[in-house]
Formats: sequence, structure tokens, C-alpha cells
Amino acid sequence: MGEFFQALIQHSFLQHALLAGLLVSISSGIVGTYVVTRRITYLAGGIAHCVLGGMGFARYMQVVHEWSFMTPMLGAMIAALLAAFIIGWINIKAKERIDTVISAFWGMGMAVGILFIAKTPGYGEDLMSYLFGNILLVTQGDLLAIAGLDLFIAATALLFHKQFVAVCFDEEFARLRGINTQLFYFLMLALTALTVVLMVSIVGIVMVIVMLTLPAAIAGRFCLRMGSMMALAAGLCALLTFGGLALSYGPDLPAGATIIVLTGVTYLLSLLFKKS
Amino acid sequence: MSNPIQIDNLNFSYGPVTVLENANVTLAEKEFVSIVGPNGGGKTTLLKIMLGLLEPQSGSVSVFGKVPALGRKQIGYLPQYTSLDSKFPVTALDVVLMGRLGLTRSLGFYTRTDREVAHAMLERVGLGLLHKRPLNALSGGQQQRVLIARALVSEPKLLLLDEPTSSLDDYVEQELFDLLQELNKELTIVVVSHDVAYVSRYVEKVICVNRVVHTHPVSEIDENLIHDMYGEHVHAVRHDQEHDHG
Repeated sequence: MGEFFQALIQHSFLQHALLAGLLVSISSGIVGTYVVTRRITYLAGGIAHCVLGGMGFARYMQVVHEWSFMTPMLGAMIAALLAAFIIGWINIKAKERIDTVISAFWGMGMAVGILFIAKTPGYGEDLMSYLFGNILLVTQGDLLAIAGLDLFIAATALLFHKQFVAVCFDEEFARLRGINTQLFYFLMLALTALTVVLMVSIVGIVMVIVMLTLPAAIAGRFCLRMGSMMALAAGLCALLTFGGLALSYGPDLPAGATIIVLTGVTYLLSLLFKKS
Repeated sequence: MSNPIQIDNLNFSYGPVTVLENANVTLAEKEFVSIVGPNGGGKTTLLKIMLGLLEPQSGSVSVFGKVPALGRKQIGYLPQYTSLDSKFPVTALDVVLMGRLGLTRSLGFYTRTDREVAHAMLERVGLGLLHKRPLNALSGGQQQRVLIARALVSEPKLLLLDEPTSSLDDYVEQELFDLLQELNKELTIVVVSHDVAYVSRYVEKVICVNRVVHTHPVSEIDENLIHDMYGEHVHAVRHDQEHDHG
């Protein structure tokens, strides 16, 4: 641990990593609370896996067709928003079984990503960092983008807190009170998509869902209201990210995986405490 | 002033299945009526049409002289108990505040007025001291009162309650109806129920829904009429209820 703190003072890449983790925790606490209480964990997982399609596409375009503006993060954002919109729309209009629809997108998103990456010359190692994250590669530009998205998500959640709570708790009643519930449903999915994109850079596609839902789930065991659940979830997420990063540094473990294991164990331990 | 509810020659079907046929319903101000009928007879469908959640294939529906989607702002609604997640992290006051949506400002948190009105309504239903309690720490009867307060806090002129007593024991059921009787001095109340015998002690009119819709003053309700209308269905329904209580 001491070694980690010393390195933290010396190396800017570690400072960036830590700052990114703290920033993402804010969005994660807010959106994770929606995802857990509205029970759309699986939907969030589907969106996360569709992100690979977008990242693969972006990387391919960058390398093969020299679209330099098309960064993997931009590709991820487009794919996540598109997936959120399409899955949400099918859910409302087609009355299909939603978990089946999500599964279709889950697999297709991954497959499209792998096809693009396979056809991109010389970048095989990208796949690993997309899937499992690489928090130590966060650049200053990434930090700015993360801060911007963070601000947007937090502001939206604050301004429409009462509508989101009402839509999560009892959508039909909210609609009868004149709330445009479809709009807020899509807005919630969009916020989920953006948060997923932020977290992909830290823990990677495969593990996003743990970092998004477990801090909120732990917080939900001790909090009586949505607002406090969000705050505690954000705090826990920050603490677990920090802890995982510190633990992984000495023995040179993958940071993302260490954060996830630490979070999972904390969640399981929290189940031992009686719900307040 | 237009009637709270005016439904003329209404037909509704889910695909090929006719649910309501040539239905006519008139509710006057400050009436206390019950919608009764067997399960699957169309009670909830009729309620959802009044609320503008379902569109009929033909016929006209007016709520306080407007189309339901506009008129429903004046309706306070208590959904069926089973449709809610009682583990949800909200307090009693948080739930009641949701009834202020549409009246309060759209950006930011609820106002002080909203909180005062919501608190007063919790006192009205006898839960003033429990406003900070989480929903899951309240009994079934208390939760039902919280939801009634939520329906009332928008200052509606019509209160629609869908099976309000299904989760309650007999004693709490009576308490609830006493509360409704008092509220009836100020507003129109519609209670959906499948317990004809029980509600007829309180209401003035009974709307019987079983594909066709008939309205009876409560004085006409007796065993023979119920039997003529529903035949074996009513026995089946009552039989179920006896099991529930026992």
C-alpha cells in the first residue's frame, strides 16, 4: 500500500486513473440506483456489450479509412445510445419479451465488434483493453470528456429527480399525473448508456455491470430514500475503485479485475448484515 | 358543470375478444358507487378507459366534460396493490409527494407547499407521525392509506380505487370504508370490488360489469338480482373469497 501512495505522488498516469475513477463514481452512483430500483440490470448489461461493436467500428474506421475523429470512445457512445434507444423502443412498441430482445443485441454487439477488430490490421491488443478495461491508460483528454459527461448526467438527474423517482416507482401513476413517462424512460436509458461508456474505460465492457449495480445494491441495503442511496452508492464506488487500484499496484495485478473482485466480495459481505 | 364520468355506447375489445359491449355509465357529482363483477368481466378495463389508459373502439367517454387524457388530471387513482414494489427506497411522505406531480414545478425538487400539503394529507389518513417511515416498514393497511393520500394530494374531484381491500383484513377494511365515507362529503368516489355484499352497505349505486354494464341503485341489490345477472360466476367468486379469508 505504501508503495502505491508513493507512486501516486510520482506518476501522473496513476493520478489520472484515480481522478477518472472518482469522476465516474458520481455517475455510477446516480445511474446505478435507477438501474437497480427499476430492475433494468440486464438491459444495462446488453447496452454495455453493444459498446464493443461501436469501439470496433471506430477503431476500424480510424485505421483503415483514416477517420481520425472517430475515437473508440465516440464509437462507444454512438453504439450505446443507439442500443439503448432501439432496445427501449422495441420494449414499448413490440411487446416482445424484453430479455430475449436484449440477448439478441448483447450477442450481436459483441460479434460486430469482433468482426471489425479482426479486419483492423495490427491492433489485436485493443480487444483486451476494450473487454477488460485499462484504467492506467486514461489520458488528460479522456478526463475532460469524462468530466463533461459526468456533469451532464448529474445535472439531468438533479433537475428531474422527482420525475425519475416517480417513473421508477410507479410508471402508470406518473403518466396519469401528466408526466411524459416514455420521454423519461428513454432519458434514463440514455443516461445509463452514457455511464456505461464512461465505465468501459475503467473496468472494461465485461465488468461494467458489476461496477454499475453492486455499489447501488449495497447502498440499497442501508438507505431508505433514493437520494441517499445515490450518494452512498457513489461514495462506495469511489472507495472500491481506489481500494482496487491500490491493491493491484504492488503485485502488478490487472486493475479492473481487482476492482471488480473487491466490489463483489464487499457486496457478498453486505448480505450478511441485516437490512435496515 | 359536467358529470365526472359520462360514457355512451362504448365498445371495447382485445383483438377478437369483446370485453365491454354497448356500455353506458353516468356518474354524478359526490356519488359513492361501486363497480362490481366477476374477475375477467371488464371492471379494470372500464377503469382504465376512464383514466385514458385504454382507447375504446367506439363510443364516447368524457371525464369532467373533457377527453380522458385531459380530464384525468382531476382524478385521484389508487392502483391495485400488487402492482407496486414495496422494497422501493421511499418514505411515506415521498410516495404522497408523487401525487403533486403535474401541479408542482417541473424542474428541481418538490416545493415547500408540496411538502406541507402532502404532510397534511398524511395526517388526514391518520399517518401524520409516520411520514419518515420507509414504505416497507408499514403494514398493508398503512401502505394502502399512504397510496390513498397520494391519490388525494392532487386535490381531485373524483377518486378511483381499484380493489382497495384485497390486501386488507376485515377490520382494516371497515376502517378504510369509514374514511371513504367521510371523503365522500367532498368528492365522487368509485370503488372497484368483487365483494358485492360488502360494498353495498356503503355505496349508493352499484355498476355491474360483466361484458354488459348495468347500473342499479343499491336498494335493488339482492340475492336474486345478483344471481340473475351472473348466474354461476358469482358463486365461483364468493367461493374464492371465503378461501382467502379462511
